Parts: sequence; structure tokens; C-alpha cells
Amino acid sequence: MSGAIQSRAAQQGFGRRGPNLGAPTEKPKDGRQTLRRLLGYFRPELKYVIYLALSVVLAVAAGVIAPRLQSSVIDDLVAREFDAIPPILGMMLCVYIVNGVATLLQGFLSARLGQRVIYRLRAELFGKVINLPIPYLDSHSHGDLMSRMTNDAENVSNVISSSLSSLFSGVLTLIGTLVMMFSYSVPLTLLTCVTVLLSVLVTRVMSALMRRYYLKRQVLLGQLNGIVEEKVSAGKTVTAYNLQEATIRDFAETSDALTKTGIIADVIGNAMGPLMNMINNFSFVIVAAFGAWFALRGMISVGVISAFIIYSKQFSRPINELAQLYGQIQTAVAGAERIFSVLDAESEDKSGSRELPVHEGVIEFKNVNFSYVPGKQVIYDFNLRVEAGKKIALVGSTGSGKTTIVNLLMRFYELDSGCITVDGADIRDISCDVLRDAVGIVLQDSVLFTDTVRNNLKYADRSISDKKMIEAAESSNCDKVVAALPDGYDTVLTAAGANLSQGQRQLLTIGRAFLSYPKILILDEATSSVDTRTEKQIQNAMVELMKNRTSLIIAHRLSTIRDADQIVVMEQGHIIETGTHEELLKKKGDYYRLYMTQFAGQAT
Amino acid sequence: MGNLLKHLKKYWLLALLASGFMVAEVYVDLYQPRMMQRIVDEGILGVSSGGVSNLDLVISTGIRMLLIVIAGGLCGIGSALFTNIAGQNYGNDIRKACFEKVMRFSFEQTDRFSTGSLITRITNDVTQLQQLVMQMIRGLVRCVMFFIGGTAALLSLDLSFGTIVACAFPLILIDIIFVVWRTNPLFTVLQESLDRLNGIIQENVAGIRVVKAFVQEKTEAQRFGEANRHLVDTQFNVQVMLSFLRPVMNIVLNIAVVGVLYVGSVQVRQGGVAPGMVMAAITYISQILNGMMMLAMIFQTLSRGMASAKRLGEVLETESSIVRDDTLPQASEAQKGTVSFRGVRFAYAHNGKTVLHDINLDIAAGETLAIIGATGCGKSTLVNLIPRFYDATGGQVLVDGTDVRAWEPSRLREKVTMCLQKSELFSTTIRDNIAIGKPGASQEEIEAAARAAQADDFIRQQPEGYDTPVAERGMSLSGGQRQRIAIARALLKRSEILIFDDSTSALDLKTEAKLYEALSRDYGDVTKIIIAQRIASVQNADRIVVLDGGTIAACGSHRELMASSPIYRDIYDSQLREEATA
Repeated sequence: MSGAIQSRAAQQGFGRRGPNLGAPTEKPKDGRQTLRRLLGYFRPELKYVIYLALSVVLAVAAGVIAPRLQSSVIDDLVAREFDAIPPILGMMLCVYIVNGVATLLQGFLSARLGQRVIYRLRAELFGKVINLPIPYLDSHSHGDLMSRMTNDAENVSNVISSSLSSLFSGVLTLIGTLVMMFSYSVPLTLLTCVTVLLSVLVTRVMSALMRRYYLKRQVLLGQLNGIVEEKVSAGKTVTAYNLQEATIRDFAETSDALTKTGIIADVIGNAMGPLMNMINNFSFVIVAAFGAWFALRGMISVGVISAFIIYSKQFSRPINELAQLYGQIQTAVAGAERIFSVLDAESEDKSGSRELPVHEGVIEFKNVNFSYVPGKQVIYDFNLRVEAGKKIALVGSTGSGKTTIVNLLMRFYELDSGCITVDGADIRDISCDVLRDAVGIVLQDSVLFTDTVRNNLKYADRSISDKKMIEAAESSNCDKVVAALPDGYDTVLTAAGANLSQGQRQLLTIGRAFLSYPKILILDEATSSVDTRTEKQIQNAMVELMKNRTSLIIAHRLSTIRDADQIVVMEQGHIIETGTHEELLKKKGDYYRLYMTQFAGQAT
Repeated sequence: MGNLLKHLKKYWLLALLASGFMVAEVYVDLYQPRMMQRIVDEGILGVSSGGVSNLDLVISTGIRMLLIVIAGGLCGIGSALFTNIAGQNYGNDIRKACFEKVMRFSFEQTDRFSTGSLITRITNDVTQLQQLVMQMIRGLVRCVMFFIGGTAALLSLDLSFGTIVACAFPLILIDIIFVVWRTNPLFTVLQESLDRLNGIIQENVAGIRVVKAFVQEKTEAQRFGEANRHLVDTQFNVQVMLSFLRPVMNIVLNIAVVGVLYVGSVQVRQGGVAPGMVMAAITYISQILNGMMMLAMIFQTLSRGMASAKRLGEVLETESSIVRDDTLPQASEAQKGTVSFRGVRFAYAHNGKTVLHDINLDIAAGETLAIIGATGCGKSTLVNLIPRFYDATGGQVLVDGTDVRAWEPSRLREKVTMCLQKSELFSTTIRDNIAIGKPGASQEEIEAAARAAQADDFIRQQPEGYDTPVAERGMSLSGGQRQRIAIARALLKRSEILIFDDSTSALDLKTEAKLYEALSRDYGDVTKIIIAQRIASVQNADRIVVLDGGTIAACGSHRELMASSPIYRDIYDSQLREEATA
């Protein structure tokens, strides 16, 4: 069986049930290696594999024997030996029941096997993904990673749960049937094989033809989905700029093109059914006509014709199926390959000999140089010491490297050179868990999870009491947000917190940081979506929170940072000024200019 | 649902042709066993000619069978052809109709459906519906034909075989109904648990920094583990249920075969039935029961397809609420660039929460009006009423002296340009993204707009300048850069009224100041309505409206408000405090 035969590869997600012959199948790079590794996941399930194999053998054996019994009943009918018939019928009944039960077991066992293997594979993959280093996630598309965890895992799961046992059963049936047929009549078997060759030939020609149109359709479908996705999500812009007519025209054009290609592709695809049916009927004719001819010459009995009718069907079914299974398995192995490539990526290095919790919260950056992409340096020789309990504000225009500094302190990235110390210890020597436990962070994007408000607030530690949670919610002003929600703290936030405004979401993330009781607090544009009056209230609460805590604050609003013990003005990865608000104003340097723009508005 | 059927009418002839060809194809399949029976009984056994076999009959019947088989195959291909022409064109019609509807929806209507759901409806549901229609034209006809035709053929052999079908039939029906009844609710659960799992994956990939920062890798793995467990268990249950379908059917079918052999042997013994008839009967039985098996699959397509049809019907039934109202008076075109609110009230339909109470405000042509206020005070809602993104639930909004509902919506939106809070960029070049504001604009015009929006500099620094593609919905650009492209787009349109809905929030102060400077210099005649958070952004406006709890708390210039409005002073203090003397 060569790679060209991929007739019935089920095309996932697009009309699951319809005959989707010739859908593009991916080819794995190193199929054998990946398959071997995938099979390795079955080793702990050896018990189930053996049971499954046994039930397949049983089912196939019963399926192959039954027509033989039927054939002898027909022969007895012809010979009018009626008394011999009932015992054979009894045997047939037994054989069929064995076949039915074994098939049932096969279904049950392969479902169980799939369930167990895919659970482990998926859990392993997820565990890997959340432990990947941030740079890996930066350099790989999130959509792609998502599709590996969902689509690829799904394909692999399908193959595991059904294709493999079907493959085994198919091969066995093929062999068993062939043996039976040859034992009856060699010439009739060879004639039956002619139709099989015919069907292989037709499949090959048709699938080559189909692949071209399926590919074309796939591209158009992608385009169409792209238009829908983009234009519906950006509905406001489309409406605001009166783009409806143009967009509708654009869509109609692509939709028409898709329909045209789709019709050609599917007519070719759907023609496979009748063609295969025709070939099956050919074999029926061959069996009936040539069988009769052989029977007249006394080479076979009439019963053999009836057995051959069943055998030729039994024989051609796995052949058609095998081509389909081959395609499915290839797609799945390609998916498994992508999954394994994630599994093989190096996990984040979280190690560190210092397991002691951070005590003081003294931060020091010493000659730090850093670049996200080699050759494009973003931080140059950065030196900064933050005493315990002090409040430091980082200011500067977009792209000046403020957020990068935070990323480096969290050990999300490796430095090019220099070092960062916390309480005198190099952060590379502190384990990530300890370091990050000591730091509370509120990020620019307010990330919340699909869970209750309570669990979102208690994110750092579920065992925190409700009393403490409510206190923290009050001091961060989230209690008002929570009060407006239908079920209060038990309200489940919908995907991405869509039932809250941006400002409300940010309040919740601030509340969450409160509850992690950190030694070091990082606020990265934390209050940009909160209006200034609410922000003021938060700030009042934060004075309390920041007591005895080292704080790093990034903000565009000068009002947010005025009270800082030290303001660090950055530009293109360099520190250009440091000092208190008053000192920097007196200096009349960059900070002064920045401040004057804020105060004097357009007047500069 | 009526809408969906209306679209189907056009294709009735094609559908009929497709079904006709299918009937012919099935007929050929059903004719085969009959011919074989002739070969066996007349050709080999010579039942009616007293045991004399007839080779010529075998050969001539064989040739006839071959011809019929070819005809059957051609009919099958014909059926596939017409089914696809009818089904896919129908799907195309529905898809286009839905998309057109959605494009014309008001924001209220889009919100009600949610964009995610609308996308699924236009893509996935249309495919499901198309599949359903095609199944009905071909699959259903095929099944029913096999069932009815097969039964008729079987009974024509000998009536006693009918009792066997009559016994097997209810058993198989029970099997199908049982499996469908048990699995259908499971499919919903399956979809839910799959969504849940995908949701967790998505959240974790997108929020990985938060997960890591809070050292929650283990908790998340546990949360994922639960969802994973739930999913695989549900999948297992579905598969086990489904795996009942075939083996049970096979057992019934095979017992029926045994039954036919038994009844057949009795009949042959009594005479009247020949062995070939028994062979044909076995083939018919399996054809009938296979037809029923296909029916089970069709049920599944049907239930999925009906759900999709319902969802599509909802879209098609919804009439856009944003249409021109002819009954309202239209003012002369004398005024240009004025906006008035007369006793405007607004409540969201989905939760009935009133956001705006009795707003009265007149904005003069060429005026710069700023709106400031707390999150959720209704600033955004207020300006959204001007281009009719939403309709006021009470009172009147007037543009150029005419009620906004009296304007042709597209004409109104030519007059009013809104720069949105969230900058939505399309996956095309930066140039094309700006040119959306004025299709066919020259390079000079685009550059001028970009310069005013303070975007020209960074655009030129992009690898391909204005021709740089905007990747993955603007992810390659920073928030501030995206906002400036969106602003350039709005400026290029140069309409009478320009609204900035907090659209400079990601700009640093210097850039914002330069933008406002360019605005007052080059766009002096344009009425500007600016929503902002920062006092610095608003203090040079002609008038500033302080919105509080859905009402206008104060309105006046910066100086006036500093003197009269405690709320404004409060905001001012929170941002600039004692340094006012500097």
C-alpha cells in the first residue's frame, strides 16, 4: 500500500459524516520513529492490548467461519438433505453470537485503551506547556500550540481508540478470507481479486484527481473563515466606516468560488461511492456468473457461490478501509510528531539551591544586558539598587524597556550578562518557585480565569480564609465590583472575563495580587484602565499594601508614580535619570519635560 | 425556519433529479440478487426445466447483470452530481444571506448573539445544514429505498420470509432508538467538556505569565487534569454506547440469516421455494438491515443539522434594527457638524440596566468637547448613540439638526467618524488599514493623515514601510502603534464629526500632546468629541462634560469646572495635585 492511496481519510471538523474522500493527508517526517514512540504509550496498558487483540482474533475467526457454515447449509438444501441442516444452523447461531460479543468487547476495550492513553498524553502535554520557558511561548504561535493540544491530540486519540484495532482486524480478516476462498476455489478467488485490483486502481486515479480540488477548497475555506472571523469580530469598524457593502461583496465572491470548487471536489469525492458500489456489483456478477459456470462443470458447489458472495464482500471491505485507515494513521502520526516536538522542548530551568524564602526584598540589578533576539539588545548595562520596603517607579516612553526589567526580575528570561540579586542572592540561585512566591504582580493585560470570583481572588493560595479575602477585596476596592455581580463571590467569570469591563477586571487582578501577600510588588501599568478617581482609591489602599514591601511600578500617568521613593527614567534600554519627583523637577531634564507635557497639555 | 425553506425552493428540480437517480441506483442493487437467483435456480439447478442446467442462460444473465451494474453506477454518479449542485448552492445562498444579515446588525443585536457565536453560525452551522440537506436528498432516499424496495423484493420471493424481517425490524429499531436516546444527551456533555478543556488550555497559554508569577503550575495541571478526566470519561461513555450499535445489529442480522435458512429449508422441503431464492433472501435481508443501519447515522446528521438550522433561522429572522425612519422630519442641510442630545435615556436590553438618564447637550460645529468620568459612567455609551451604533431608549439624538433615525445609516456614518476604544486592524498592509477611512485615497493623503496621527515615523521604520502587513490582527504592533493607525484611518475620513472613544489611552503623553496639537491645527473645522481619562488630554477642550452615574454632573471649560465642579476638581487633584503652581 503506497502513500498515494488516501481515499477515505476522514476530514476532521468539516462535515464529519459525509464521504470526504481524498481529503489532504499530512505526511509525518519520521513516521516510524514517531509511531514507535506513540506505541510506547501502550506499554503500561499491555493487559488491555492483549485482551483487545484476543477479542479481535475471536471476532475475525467467527466472521470467517460463518459463511463456510452457511455454504454447507445451501449445499444441503440443494442436495435435499434437510435433516443435516438444524445442527449446522445451531452452530451458526453460536458462531454469530461469539462474533457479536467479541465485536462488542473490541469496541469497549479500544474505547478504554484510547481513554487511558489519551488522558496520559494530554496531561503530559499540558504539564509540559505550562512549564515551558517564556521565550519558547514568545517564539511559537499560541494558535499553533493550541491546535497541537486540541486537534492533534484528538486525531491521535481517534487513531488510538479505533483505527489501530480496525487495522488489526482488517488485516486478519483479509488473511482469513483469502485462506477460505483459496481453499474453496483457486480460479474463482483469482477472479475476485481482479475486482480488488480494479478498485485499487480507481481509488488511485480518483484520489489524485481529488487531492487537487480538495487542496484548492481547503485554501478557499481558510480564506472564507478568515473573512468571517475578521469582519464579524471587527464589526464595529466595518460599520463605523460603512464597509458593509464592500465586505458583503468580498465575502460573496469568495463564497461563490468556494462553492464552485466544493461542488467539483465533492462530485469527484462522492462519485467514489457509486464507483465502489459498481465494482462490488462487478464482483457479485463475477461470483454469480463464473461461479455458476464452475458449478456447472462440477468444480464447486452452489453453496460455495453463496459463501463467495459473502467472502468477496468481506475481502473488499478491509481493502477499502485500509486505504482510509492508512491516511488516518498518517495524519495522526504527523500530529503525534508535533505533540512530541513540544514534549521534547526543554522545560523552564527553575532550579536554584536557595530554597529559603525571600526575607527583606532588597533588589539589585548589576550591569544587566539583555536582548530578546540575539543582536537586538534592549537593555544596556542596567544598574539599580532598590532597598527593602522602597517604592521605585519606572517611567519612559513605549519600548524603553520598562516591562523587560520586570520580566527579568521574574526570571522569565535569561540575562545576556550581569546579574540580578534579591536579598544579596543571585536570582539564578533562587528556585523560581521561591522567587515568584515572594513577588506579587499585576500585569498590563488583566488575565482572569474561567472560575468563580472567589477562586480568582484566592489564586495564589486557595486555603486563604474568606474573611481575609473580603478584607483584601475591600482594600483594593474590588468589593464594589463583586457586589454588582449576580452571585457575588460565587459568580463564575465567563471566558476571558467578558462579563466585566476592562477596569473591573483590572481591579480584580489587583485584589488577587493583594491576597498573595508578597514581599515584592510589581505593578506593570496596573491602573491604566481604571479611571483616575478609582485609581486614587486604589492607591490609598496600596500605601497600606506597600508598607514594608519593595515595590516596582510602571505607569504612564505621572500621578501614579509621584510618591515613589525613587523615579527611574528610561529610554531605549538605558537609565537616563534617577531621583525623587522634586529632585527631577528641579533638574529640568527629561522627567521635567515629560511632566510639563502632562501638566501643560498641548502647550509644549 | 421558514426563511431556510424559502431558499430551498429554488433547488427542488435538482433535488428531485438527484433523488430519482438515487432510486435508480438502489433499484439496480436490489435487482442483483434476483438475477443471481435466476442463475442458480434456472441456470445451474434447472428447477423449472426438471433439473437440466442451462449455460446460455448463465452467460446471457451475466452479461445483462454487467450492463445493469454499469447503468447503476452512472445513476449513482448522476445523483452525486445533482445533490452537490443543489446542496452546495443552497449552502452558499444561506451563507451569503447570513453574512449579509450579520453585517447589517446593530451592535445591540451583535452583542446579543455574541461575535463568537455568529462566526460559528456562518461557518460551521452552514456546513452542517448543507450536510443535512444533502443527506436528505441522497442518504434518506437511499435508506428508505433499500428498506421498502428490499422488503418488497423479499416478500415477492416468498411471504414467509416476511415474518423474519417483521421480527428483526423492531429489535433493530429498539437498538437504534436506545443508542440514539442514550448518546444524544452525551454529545452535548461531550461538547461542553471539550469546550471546557479548550478553555483551560487557552487561558493557560494566554495567561502563562500570571500562572508562572503566582507559581500555580501544579494547581493548573490539577484543574486541567479534572477537565481532562471528565472529557475522556465522557468520550469513553459515548464510544461504548456507539459500539453497541453495530454488534447488536450484526447479531440480529445474522440471527435473521439463520432464520431465513431455517424457514428456507422448511420451504424447500415442501417445494415452492428453490435454493437460489434462499440465497437471494439472505442478500435482501442484509440489504434491508444495512439500510436501517444507515438510518441511524442519518438520525445523527439530522439532529445535528436541525440544531444548526435553528441557529441559522434565528439569524435570518432577525431584522436589523438600524433602518431609516421616514416618518421623522428631516432638517435642511444648513447645519453642518452639530450634535444635540434631547432628554436621552439608554438602558441595555440584555440586563435592563439604565446607563444614561435624561442627557441634554448641544455641541456646536467645530467645537472640541471632552467627556470625562469614572469607568462605567456611560461615556462610551453616550457617544455610541451619535453614529447610531445603539439606539437611545428614550429622547432624541440629533445630528445636523435631524434625528439620527431619520438619516440613512450609511449617510449618517459618513458624517460621523468614530475612533474606537479597541483598535481593530485588519490583516492587510498598514496602508490599506489606513485607506479604509477613504477608499482610493492618494499616498499623500494617507501620509498626511498618518503624520497628524503621529504614526508616520514608526510606520517608516517598519520593514516595508506603509506596505508592511499587519500580522495576526495587529499583534506585531504595540498597543500605541495600533491606536495611531486607527487614528490615522479616522483622520483620513475627514468627516464633519470626529469622536475619540478613549482612543489615545496607550499613547505616551508627548505623543498624545503632539496629536492634539495637530488636531487643533489641521482639523479646526471638524467637531471633535473626545473621551479621555487624563486631565491633560481634556483641559484644552472648549468645553468639558463631567459624566457621573449616567448624568451630566457639570459642563464648562477647564477654568470654570475648576471653580464650580467638586468632582472635576477631585479628578484633577488625583492626577496633578499640589503641583498646579509649577
